[in-house]
Amino acid sequence: MSLLLRLQEIRKSFYGTPALKAVNFELQAGEVHALLGENGAGKTTLIKILAGAYTTDSGSLWFRDALVPGHYGPKVAEDLGIVTIYQHFHLLPHLTVAENLSLKAFISEPGWYVNWRTVQKRARETLARLHFAIDPGARVKDLTIAQQQMLEIAIALSKKAQVMVMDEPTAALSKRETEVLFGLIRQLKQHGLGIIYVSHKLEEVKLIADRLTILRDGNNVATMQAKDADLREIIRLMVGTSPTGDIRSGALVRDKILFSVKGLRNKHFKESLEFVVYEHEILGITGLVGAGKTELSRVIFGADRKYGGEIRLNGHLLSLRRPRDAVQLGLGYVPEDRDSKGLCLNLAVRENIGLASLVKLKGWFFNRSAERRLVRESVNSMRIRTQALDLPVKYLSGGNKQKVVLGKWLAAKCNLLVLDEPTIGIDVGARQDIYRLISEFRQKSDHSVILVSSDIDEVLQVADRVLVLSDYRIVADLDPARTDKGLILEYCTRRAAAVS
Amino acid sequence: METAKADRLTQLRAVLANQAVSMLLILILMWFLLSLLSPYFFTVSNLSEITLQTAVIGIIAAGQTLVILSGGIDLSVGSVFACSGIAGGLVFQTTGNLWFTLAITLITGAALGSLNGVFISWLRVPPFIATLGMLGMARGLALILSRGIPIFGLSKEYLWIGQGKVFDFVPVPTLILLAVFALVFFIARYTRFGRFTYAVGSNTEAAKLSGISLRSVILGTYALSGLFCGVGAVIEAARLATIQPAGGNGYELLAIGAVVIGGTSLFGGEGNVIATLIGALIETTIRNGLNLLGVNAFWQYVVNGAVIIAAVAVDQWRRRL
Repeated sequence: MSLLLRLQEIRKSFYGTPALKAVNFELQAGEVHALLGENGAGKTTLIKILAGAYTTDSGSLWFRDALVPGHYGPKVAEDLGIVTIYQHFHLLPHLTVAENLSLKAFISEPGWYVNWRTVQKRARETLARLHFAIDPGARVKDLTIAQQQMLEIAIALSKKAQVMVMDEPTAALSKRETEVLFGLIRQLKQHGLGIIYVSHKLEEVKLIADRLTILRDGNNVATMQAKDADLREIIRLMVGTSPTGDIRSGALVRDKILFSVKGLRNKHFKESLEFVVYEHEILGITGLVGAGKTELSRVIFGADRKYGGEIRLNGHLLSLRRPRDAVQLGLGYVPEDRDSKGLCLNLAVRENIGLASLVKLKGWFFNRSAERRLVRESVNSMRIRTQALDLPVKYLSGGNKQKVVLGKWLAAKCNLLVLDEPTIGIDVGARQDIYRLISEFRQKSDHSVILVSSDIDEVLQVADRVLVLSDYRIVADLDPARTDKGLILEYCTRRAAAVS
Repeated sequence: METAKADRLTQLRAVLANQAVSMLLILILMWFLLSLLSPYFFTVSNLSEITLQTAVIGIIAAGQTLVILSGGIDLSVGSVFACSGIAGGLVFQTTGNLWFTLAITLITGAALGSLNGVFISWLRVPPFIATLGMLGMARGLALILSRGIPIFGLSKEYLWIGQGKVFDFVPVPTLILLAVFALVFFIARYTRFGRFTYAVGSNTEAAKLSGISLRSVILGTYALSGLFCGVGAVIEAARLATIQPAGGNGYELLAIGAVVIGGTSLFGGEGNVIATLIGALIETTIRNGLNLLGVNAFWQYVVNGAVIIAAVAVDQWRRRL
């Protein structure tokens, strides 16, 4: 193995606040090196420096034993073959797979016209080399998230990548798709690529990484061999304290149905959906990507049109035609994509948290100081790390943003929280806070939680009961104490396999 | 010592980062320069004239601010202005009743604005297209209703709204201008509707999923924009003692210009209404200044357009700092 990349004493501050304090990092050729840390630990800053998006304050970058001289920018990074695969893809959705693959060539190659034969040929060759079964003529917007990610990687490879930085590559992938991705990563390793792998899913990291480096508060606190690493030890190093254990407390008495769905159908759910949620219960709903988890949470919140069926809360029949009805009647919804669906990013923390409470108020006016009090209470109970409530939400980290979305519904005093992937892309510390909040929430009388998550471990750890969705059908109703990951995965895939 | 200096510098930067503040400084600078260039500029009568000239565009721009804050745009303001003025004028010709006339003018404006809201939220026509269509329809209606003939013969009471002065000093339009801005400021800050307007402009999907009724916000902002066009129409009619079916041409440029000069984001969700007032005053000052300096009036359009582009360019540049 040879040293591919070496970062020495990298420092970076934003407006006087240090984000990286003398970080050292090494990457070998043919190595998967995981970068771990809580949100705000400096991972993103480091990635952006590698991509050339940020300049360093001081420190040096060595590539193959040679100091990279002068100004390091996006162009230099590209020339060296350092490519970043971001969580949010940089694909052109209305163009085809083949066109996306040739985009770089369109830009860099001389000439005025497009040789479509070359474009097709290049696409077929690239896809074949990576064993991707994607139609080169398909439009990118019609691909699944996993396929888009594969395409993104294919594009990176066509740029002659030597170092590939992957930022939460499995965040939107199902178990099976993750395995396909891991297969690909192992293939890339064989070709001598170095891969920097950023993820919050520690078990996954142990599976795929050779080494891991942990960042905390802008310092690299440890680098170790992945196979020797102990999960609790990693978490301790990331957080700086020991993690808390199970949040379930005591046995749940299921004597009162708080929420029930009967005969619900819409354009996704051709067969009618039926399930109940008991008072104080955390109902976990899991399934693979494309099983209908998000669609389920949207339809019970009134965000998607229903064809029929009834939804009851506390025995009362709800007519949920719009999210507004759901909010008025005591539902709260934390959507999967907090930035695009959960938050008004340029409004202040205060305004975001107050929003759903304001919807529930009557009359034209509202009392600003009452709002401020309500928000302050909500913020204190949630340990949101924000000095100023008047700061726009866009400046918060992922974990704090998610707490703001959650805080909005806690402040609105809703009874049933529907959470769609509430901990996606969130660090361990914030994740524990969110579990604690959910657990406190459901202990109040007439309160329950529906937790939709593709993270089976999370569902097993947090939920009192687990429904498994597959192909828009509920295929299993399980007790997490008497089931395991393997069984749930089997339920997830069984129906899907039967269909295909 | 060094840090204290740096702190003060960041504070200064934070204050300047507020477009309203920097625009106010530019306005003051403009007044200062113009008073050096022309002895007539810094006189009570000229400054009072500037507020008077600002009134119509300022009031329309106040409504436009709400629309833009909600993430929309209203291109129809000039035509709605003309159409509501004509509708009121016709009522005046037949009945001669001042209160009835005023009511019809305002109601016509609000109704046409609401129609914009219906096109946008019920028929899902993008705001740009919906209000562009209304720009044509309302102008046509104004010409049809009036048969293309201007309306004259407004009563003395009507003219007082545009030409009168309170305590022989403050022009009535100036007072109306201030009242409208106070009202819109209050709406934006202290009402649920105002907060929802910001939320919808900031992220429509998140606003909807928080339970906000998009329809009522959109309908409300466009209805208010139309209503304020009606208010503007009354003032202009009273100032000029005539109602022109072709009036208000190009007012959308001035109104949208005042909003963006004030730094309100065309993407919605960011900005404030007081900044719009400053933006409108800057536009009027430029016109007034060019007049006093004897520049050909046609240049005013060129300068005004350039100022709008410059203001947004500066705003974009400042956001990247």
